[in-house]
Amino acid sequence: MRGNVPRWCNALLAWAAPRDQADEAIGDLEEAHQRRVARRGRRLAGVLTALEAVDVAVALLRERWRRRGTMDGTAARGSFGARISLLDFKLGFRMLAKYPGLTVVGGLAIALGIAVGAFAFELAAQVMHPRLPLPDGDRIVALRLWHRQANGVEEQSLHDFIGWRESVKSIEELGAYRDVDRNLVTRAGQSMALRMAEMTASGFRLAGVRPLLGRVLEESDEQLGAPPVVVIGERVWRTQFNRDPAVLGQTVRLGGVETTMIGVMPESFGFPVFHSAWAPLRIAALDSRPRRGTQLHVFGRLAPGISLDEAQAELRLLGERAAADMPETHEHLRPEVMAYTRAFFTVSWRTVMTSAYAAQLGVLLFLILVCANVATLVFARTAARESEMVLRSALGASRGRIVSQILAETLVLGGVGALVGLSITNFGVRIVLGLLQDAGLRLPFWIRTSLAPTTVLYAVLLTFIAAVIAGAVPALKVTRGLAHRLRQAAVGGADLKFGKLWTGLIVTQVALTVIFMALTIDAQQDMARGHAMRLGFPARQFLSAQLEIDRMTAAAEAAEVPYTEAELAHYRATFDAVEQRLAADPAIATVTYTANFPGSYHTTHRIEVDGASGSSHIVQRARVGLKYFDALGVPPVAGRGFRTGDLGSSAGRPTGDDALGTAVIVNESFVRQVFGGGNPIGRHVRYLCHAEQCGFDRSAARTDKREPWLEIIGIVPDIAMTGDPDLLRMNLPGMYHPWQPGDAYWARIAVRVRGDPRAFAPRLRAITTAVDPSVRIEQVMTLEDLYELELRAYDFAFRGALLASAIVLLLSVAGTYSIMSFTVSRRTREIGIRSALGADPRRIVLAIFSRALAQVMAGVLAGTVLLLVMMRGIQSRQGALIVLLPVCIMLAVCALACVVPTRRALRIEPTAALREG
Amino acid sequence: MATESLGEFELIVLLASLRLGPDEAYTVSIAADITQRTRRPVRRANVYTTLQRLESKGLVTTRLGDARPERGGRPRRLVTVTRTGLAAVRAATNAIQAMVGGLDIVQGRA
Repeated sequence: MRGNVPRWCNALLAWAAPRDQADEAIGDLEEAHQRRVARRGRRLAGVLTALEAVDVAVALLRERWRRRGTMDGTAARGSFGARISLLDFKLGFRMLAKYPGLTVVGGLAIALGIAVGAFAFELAAQVMHPRLPLPDGDRIVALRLWHRQANGVEEQSLHDFIGWRESVKSIEELGAYRDVDRNLVTRAGQSMALRMAEMTASGFRLAGVRPLLGRVLEESDEQLGAPPVVVIGERVWRTQFNRDPAVLGQTVRLGGVETTMIGVMPESFGFPVFHSAWAPLRIAALDSRPRRGTQLHVFGRLAPGISLDEAQAELRLLGERAAADMPETHEHLRPEVMAYTRAFFTVSWRTVMTSAYAAQLGVLLFLILVCANVATLVFARTAARESEMVLRSALGASRGRIVSQILAETLVLGGVGALVGLSITNFGVRIVLGLLQDAGLRLPFWIRTSLAPTTVLYAVLLTFIAAVIAGAVPALKVTRGLAHRLRQAAVGGADLKFGKLWTGLIVTQVALTVIFMALTIDAQQDMARGHAMRLGFPARQFLSAQLEIDRMTAAAEAAEVPYTEAELAHYRATFDAVEQRLAADPAIATVTYTANFPGSYHTTHRIEVDGASGSSHIVQRARVGLKYFDALGVPPVAGRGFRTGDLGSSAGRPTGDDALGTAVIVNESFVRQVFGGGNPIGRHVRYLCHAEQCGFDRSAARTDKREPWLEIIGIVPDIAMTGDPDLLRMNLPGMYHPWQPGDAYWARIAVRVRGDPRAFAPRLRAITTAVDPSVRIEQVMTLEDLYELELRAYDFAFRGALLASAIVLLLSVAGTYSIMSFTVSRRTREIGIRSALGADPRRIVLAIFSRALAQVMAGVLAGTVLLLVMMRGIQSRQGALIVLLPVCIMLAVCALACVVPTRRALRIEPTAALREG
Repeated sequence: MATESLGEFELIVLLASLRLGPDEAYTVSIAADITQRTRRPVRRANVYTTLQRLESKGLVTTRLGDARPERGGRPRRLVTVTRTGLAAVRAATNAIQAMVGGLDIVQGRA
């Protein structure tokens, strides 16, 4: 077993070691790593080696700095690196307690900066450079065909896979899989929808994970005519079979086929991606003509001693040969081999990397800005300790020594901030992954919920950067001319003041605060709008689910060919049977099918009305069952409901999306907004374009494409359509088309339950399975829960924006307070003289604070202008609120920050001030 | 010429280098030898800096060894104790023996 030292460790040592010794240091690390791998396994060895690399690098750097100090004669006073002692860090902790305001504000700001940076890094690490938790995971590769002309992946690669399996030498255990969705029905009648992989047996050898029970797939299972078998995951075993060890050899119905269970895999096993059951891939049953048939994903492991480049060279040769032999299908195809997880990006790797680097650069800039703000606070604190600096200088401390001490203090502050920041990041990662899972996304098996060691190291690096910006920069500024001030025996010279850099920072900070607050108010309004939205019917009494039926043949499913009449008839009969069985159940009050659930995604369109040529409206559209409104308890208030004759035809269409019929029902908002409250029954409307494509701007250019006219036959009360708070603010009118299930393999169903709808979920599954065991039933929840799920992402975004706003606001207040306090302490003597000469206290205050106030005003103005540009002006009362509220808050808190320094300035006794001078 | 005074860890590193000999003494083997004999964990970072200091004091010299596959094809930096180094080791061990002599409590006889 052989593992590689992480590349960044080698790079770190190469940088830290003396130039003539770097190679040996890396060799030592490699040798020590291999010994650890043999003793403790790859994973632990990797962590220990990374820690050792950092330890050695720090020691080598300290030694270099120490020697440099010895050579240039500063050793007695200590070189820069060696100057920071344990005592400095102890003093740093004391400073945390002595200046609690700076500790809280600065620490939180640095924590936020590091949290954002670490989150972006962790995300990039998990998505772009994940480590497969499999033996030799870094040598597992994916193979794919890249279509150079279409600039995309060609997934119909079965023909090429068969060729590669016969001829490729540089890759072992070459295998493939395809995704299939099946319903698993036990002998007890329990059903479960599964995302399965039909996979070659080599996938199990490649993963090298032993089954908990039984065996994995073998080549003999792939033969045509072999008995149908399946390996199930631990979760299926636990939830459907209560961990019964006797499941091996039992049969289940899998997509309607009696299949024997032959093995159980551990819970952690999800190879190839997030699968929970595995069936053999029977290639002979699939269409293997070039670029035809099923979508296939190919994998393998680099042969011993073979590099990725060597494997790519062999594949390139095969690709060129295929292009020459089959120019009509392969002229633009180039086979690629890459790290396994990289193949899941369907855009080019260069695009991915560019985006990732741009994101990291943005994060770094954000951290620099935050730290520059903290630097303002540190500068004010350090300036207040000027007498201490001068005294230490008089006792022999060099400037470098003093700067080192201040750097150590900010390192302590940054360290505390980093701990808080990493905790926030860890929490954030868990929340985001949880949200993704709640939204129905299946996460790949290599995604971790804990932070990677490299992310922690990156946070350490960010801490150093933060400490240097927030500590060293102000320290250098304060200690400039220290010797001169010592000779003059003077403290508080006029040369120590906030310069243009700080002025710019404060203005930027105030402007950003205004923008952040506006974004938070906007997010809050979105969230409040979402929560306040009335669904318009008793949603908590409705249980909803999505039903899916397998295609009739594997070939049809694989190639996604249009539905045949026989298939559509089968779907219709199945969905009708489910509806009849449910309607007959005494627990059910009403049943309805729909293509769109209330409070979920709806498409938006631009329409025009007959007789009003030249004007158009944006509407949201839903396709609902014939009994939808009655089932929800909101029958039409005018006109009539849908009838069977209103339905369009969908035969032969792959999805049925366009089979809309000619009759529509509109809601009351539609009547108000489109017809000004007039009677729309019998009027006609028609679609111009999808609003997502032609824009929401009412003055946008219209398309020439004209759809058929649709007749309005009824009006219904307003019930929820889209749940997107961004669209809710537009209060779009709604239009309904008649629809019935059976124009596609799926349908959404909602049943009104007498009693607890959640308790009816098992019965719903049982009834569906009894009708047809191959029907998959997913996302079973009440319509109210479904809508709450939609809103959760907005809640999370609001909380994040609120936290960022609070910290930026706190920074602004603290910055303003620092400037005011600093100004008063610098100009005590001047204030005293002015008071002694009888100046009006208000004029003194204005004269002293005018600069700080001007900075705040400039920031507020800049922020407001930027906001107006972002919002394209104020277009509503809510827009005005979003702009004005942050401005008022900002001015109020800055005024509050001035109260204490102002009172201090006004209390200065002229005699005391003159004596101090 | 007065012999160089040695710190405890410097002495241990020199003793390990002498024991391993000029063809086998390098950072990894020295650290392993010390760990094995003293039964205390040794940070390789400390061995690096100690060897650098001993070399700058002229107590050891280093040279490049052969490249090895287990090191990713990279060479070892082999350590040879110089005459001055040997003299410093002798002086340090003599001093310790002189101080320990007659102290039964230290030699475990009391």
